[in-house]
Amino acid sequence: MSNSLRNDEEIKIGVYVCHCGINIAGVIDVPALTEYAKTLPNVALAKEYKFICSSIGQEMIKEDIEAGLINRVIVAACSPRMHEPTFRMVVKEVGVNEFLFEMANIREHATWVNLDDPEGAFKIAKDHVRMAVAKLSELKPLEVERVKVEPACLVIGAGIAGMNASIDLAKEGYDVYLVERTATIGGHMAQLDKTFPTMDCSACILTPRMVDVGREEKIHLMTYSEVEKVDGYVGNFDVTIKKKPHYVDQEACTGCGLCAIECPVICANEFEVGLGIRKAIYIPFPQAVPGEFTIDMTKCIKCGICATPEVCEPDAIRFDDKLEYVEIKVGTIIVATGWDLYDPTELKQYGYGKYPNVINGLEMERLLSSFGPLEGKPARPSDLEPPHSIGFLQCVGSRNFRPGGNNYCSRVCCMYATKQARQYKEKHPEASIYIFYMDIRAFGKGYEEFYESAGRNFGIKYIRGRIGEVYEDEDHSIIVRAEDTLLQKQIEIKLDMLVLSCGLVARYDADQIASILTIQRSADGFFMEAHPKLRPVDTLTDGIFVAGVAQGPKDIPDAVAQAKGAASGAASLMAMGEFAIEPYYSVVLEYKCSGCKSCQSLCPFNAISFDVFKNIAVINKALCKGCGTCAAACPSDAIVQNHFSDDQIFAMINTAIPPLAKTENGSK
Amino acid sequence: MEDLKSDRILEIKDDISNELRKAGYAEIGACIQCGNCTAGCPSGRRTALRTRSIIRKAILGLEEVLSDKELWLCTTCYTCFERCPRNLPITDMIIFLRNLAVQRGYILPNHLNLCRMFYDTGHGVPINDEKWNIMRESYGVNRVPPTVHTDPKYVKEVQELISSVGFDKTIAWGKYAKKEEKAEKK
Ligand SMILES: Cc1cc2nc3c(=O)[nH]c(=O)nc-3n(C[C@H](O)[C@H](O)[C@H](O)COP(=O)(O)OP(=O)(O)OC[C@H]3O[C@@H](n4cnc5c(N)ncnc54)[C@H](O)[C@@H]3O)c2cc1C
Ligand code: SF4
Ligand code: SF4
Repeated sequence: MSNSLRNDEEIKIGVYVCHCGINIAGVIDVPALTEYAKTLPNVALAKEYKFICSSIGQEMIKEDIEAGLINRVIVAACSPRMHEPTFRMVVKEVGVNEFLFEMANIREHATWVNLDDPEGAFKIAKDHVRMAVAKLSELKPLEVERVKVEPACLVIGAGIAGMNASIDLAKEGYDVYLVERTATIGGHMAQLDKTFPTMDCSACILTPRMVDVGREEKIHLMTYSEVEKVDGYVGNFDVTIKKKPHYVDQEACTGCGLCAIECPVICANEFEVGLGIRKAIYIPFPQAVPGEFTIDMTKCIKCGICATPEVCEPDAIRFDDKLEYVEIKVGTIIVATGWDLYDPTELKQYGYGKYPNVINGLEMERLLSSFGPLEGKPARPSDLEPPHSIGFLQCVGSRNFRPGGNNYCSRVCCMYATKQARQYKEKHPEASIYIFYMDIRAFGKGYEEFYESAGRNFGIKYIRGRIGEVYEDEDHSIIVRAEDTLLQKQIEIKLDMLVLSCGLVARYDADQIASILTIQRSADGFFMEAHPKLRPVDTLTDGIFVAGVAQGPKDIPDAVAQAKGAASGAASLMAMGEFAIEPYYSVVLEYKCSGCKSCQSLCPFNAISFDVFKNIAVINKALCKGCGTCAAACPSDAIVQNHFSDDQIFAMINTAIPPLAKTENGSK
Repeated sequence: MEDLKSDRILEIKDDISNELRKAGYAEIGACIQCGNCTAGCPSGRRTALRTRSIIRKAILGLEEVLSDKELWLCTTCYTCFERCPRNLPITDMIIFLRNLAVQRGYILPNHLNLCRMFYDTGHGVPINDEKWNIMRESYGVNRVPPTVHTDPKYVKEVQELISSVGFDKTIAWGKYAKKEEKAEKK
């Protein structure tokens, strides 16, 4: 029905020039541009209006189509990113194929960039309109195809973001496969003691959520597992999951913990960031979900003590447990793999790794935790004495434009340092606490109030200046030297302990995840959203969403909000049950393809496979993003990209650059 | 007691930072005034050098960044450059500011003397101490070794070279020189 135009029908183009308030009309002569449009081939009429995107503007177009005056439409206005979908709907509603529409972006490309050169802007605007007319004359009607969407979602990473997205989707009735790499869910939030700005105890708000995840029937929790491979496309992803062996029968284990008491192997506990210990058979922390035990085979000495009936009554130990691969089919994917902490060892001037009393923010978090290695009574690592003075250095690794530094602000460290300082002051009001900062970023709801209270009610001192030098005294105290930039004086302070407020960085294996899922990463290393403002939870690969710090540093409230956004994005796809594919994909002309495979390795979206029987390349419409790389590269000219074919592009080029005039002697 | 009557409201300008930008130091605009440079500065620990303040004054176009002797206290050890989180080539910028200072006539008496020495003899450190001349004689060699300043012809050539790049004007107009001259007149 939207295909009323036959290929042989006469082309009648309507050109609508928008004033965009003063954005366009304030720079160029819109009536003159409209008159110019009327002189172009195939143009049946040209009109102007203040805001073509308004309902009056839209009606104008519809009326002209219905009156039979035109059968193809050009709007000369803003970026197609903004209103192309709007106008496609308009023409479609009155029976014109929505791909017989073109936008000439005379705002971003002509007027905005030439505010002080109206003449130049007018010339460029004319070029754009002329090119749009040339292209539109060559365009072919296209059909939107639809694929089915499997009503199941894969969520990768069970931190606060992944857990929330999973619970939301499960409550809406979708099957959720929640894959978590470690032996427990909860992510980094489980390591925090209290949370800013409300100072609620992290475990008190997190543990109930963890229990919900375990209890929710629609959530198929797969801990100690990783995503190995993802094939397919939006609506139809085939996922292979690697389940690492626990060496403990997860059904049989009752979580009594006798094995961990008896196990003779003591090693560093990752959950305590190396500050605490665990056994070779372990659960990461007492409230872990699931609560069944796992043997760390890299540490186990196979003494077999845990396997004796006196220790493990239910006989759950399985030394012969094997790696397992599980295959599932899902329609959507949410990536919520979180973050790693910046490693400050390379910043030699701060002495991390060299001086025992210089620690990082996550270590401080564990020292402050009531269920941490020191039961919430922080002490200097060198002598286990409670510190009388603590310094915090902000922006460690963050906002740093040196090689190896992160340019971005990590967004949570100003607040976590303030939180940790307050926590210590609550118990040790006599202690001196200094926070060395460049700027304090207290941007969230309740954050400024939290910061104000740190000074007013707790006497925490903020010193505006970066620490330049860190030395160690004979008694392992830390001497720091900084400039108080407000006094313009160098200052020196002897501290019992220095905490480096390290920033958040992308996971060490983010590259691997990106290539398994064919999603992009931005310059900061985090996974890239499809649009920084309008599509903040989508990736550029349809059907794949991103949530939490995996997309960029953020605090818990923002991570949860984004998780809800990602869940809603995934749910709306699955609720529709179908997904419309943009018909811009590339098509292989079978009779021309020589089977050279040049295109296959070039495709950034892995959309090209090879048919060995026909000896030709095959493009998966649903995976193809229409980037055109293959079409440009094909040595046999066998690939055509819909809507951007050679004819269409050359029509634009030929009208943009008038044919070169021959010189007198006939040469070019 | 330090000066209690703050006698002026600063007038700020863009000219110095623009000069830096023109010379390829656009980084000046990225300084976040964190003070890392001052904090690590080995010279600043003993002297009045406050690296961050130099950058600040340059940003605000305060003439005093060029006229104050502080600018000359940097030993060009590059510690600040190594650590600046905004990756500013601070030391190179200080060197640039020194050149700018001299162009605008701010030159320290000792530096001016050195320049004049160079103009007069072709050497920054000429052999002009009678002690050395006597010692040389005692070894049986010329009182002055055969270098530029033994021959007025070569000294003249050096002076021509100096004039051709306009350096003679730069040093002749030095504000310190003027002050000195004024003092002499009085
Ligand atoms: C010291 C410190 C204190 C903080 N304090 C606060 C605070 O008080 N308040 C606040 O709001 N915010 C705070 N934050 C920020 C907070 O920690 C984050 O906002 C939060 O952890 C983000 O959760 P997430 O789910 O995005 O990531 P994570 O918590 O990192 O969760 C990601 C999960 O994914 C798993 N995973 C990773 N890769 C894979 C993979 N390939 N396959 C399967 N699973 C994978 C991980 O094991 C983990 O369980 C603090 C941060 C720090 C560093
Ligand atoms: S949140 Fe604060 S400490 Fe962390 S990088 Fe940003 S400004 Fe620096
Ligand atoms: S260290 Fe760099 S950013 Fe910081 S004050 Fe000095 S010049 Fe500016």
